[in-house]
Amino acid sequence: MAELLEQARDIFEGQIDFEGQKLVENLVNISLSIVGAIAFLVGYFLQDIKLAVYIGLAGTAATFLLTVPPWPIYNKNPVKWLPVAGAAPPTNIVIDEKMLR
Amino acid sequence: MYSSLVRLQNTFGFFTTVAFVVALLISASDFLSPRTPTVNVLKTTQLQTVKGRADYYSSKKEEYAIIKFTLDADLSSLFTWNTKQVFAYVTAEWPSAQNNNATNQAVIWDTIITAPSSDHLGNFSPSKLKRLRKSANGKGIDPSRGKLQLKNQRLKYPLTHPTGRLANTEDVQLKLHYNVQPWVGFLSWNQVQDWGKWKALKNGLSKKFTLPAIKVKEQAKKKTTRA
Repeated sequence: MAELLEQARDIFEGQIDFEGQKLVENLVNISLSIVGAIAFLVGYFLQDIKLAVYIGLAGTAATFLLTVPPWPIYNKNPVKWLPVAGAAPPTNIVIDEKMLR
Repeated sequence: MYSSLVRLQNTFGFFTTVAFVVALLISASDFLSPRTPTVNVLKTTQLQTVKGRADYYSSKKEEYAIIKFTLDADLSSLFTWNTKQVFAYVTAEWPSAQNNNATNQAVIWDTIITAPSSDHLGNFSPSKLKRLRKSANGKGIDPSRGKLQLKNQRLKYPLTHPTGRLANTEDVQLKLHYNVQPWVGFLSWNQVQDWGKWKALKNGLSKKFTLPAIKVKEQAKKKTTRA
């Protein structure tokens, strides 16, 4: 039961690594700006406001589909966690410019 | 952006910003298209003043004016891709007797002209909607909309004055107004002066006329001459 919940939680949480987050941030900004620009220009030159609204909404839906689910592209640089405590402490850690052993 | 929910919220937030900016651009683009509304004819064809009651049971007898007018105007240049509706109305105006600055104004006729993009909101009968769609021909702007041609049009609303006296009022004028209602942007009415590409309404006022006296019945006249 707990395993199932864990799996469900992972799916809903949709974590991605930091490089993926940077990519998503840029993608969202660029994608929505382009969608807005295209919607306005197409509507203005074809003088059709319904078309402008439909293009805008469709482009936004596509952006959502592209950025909200945790696609594998966003997980290409997973975080390198340190080994669990209890194993031999790693040497040469520098904290506050003092070398620990 | 670490979880799906956060990505959803951030994306939606930027979407509303983009939508607002696009709406701003759309309403600003209206200033690029010229407005040249013109009136060819606005005149009265029939004038009458009658005595009547507001409703069947009221005891006060008031004077009502019956005006029939002809209007030939072209408001089609008011329509852009961003126009939802144009509300056109004709008012009868005359200066107040006591106060020099006050003007009496009453709307005598009005109409709602929808643009092709808002025809489905016009509450039209199916046959009329079909006819409108056909004349629009799939385009966002229909050049036949906004051309008003009324002949001998009667009042839509009763015309009276709170004092109940309306006969022999001088300097009454008919005036055409319009109100452009856009999809996004500010409302605008007929202007007093030109603003860039938007011109003021030409010929919007009719000639001044005087409301006639109440008709005296013929029989009463004969009695006085005999006596």
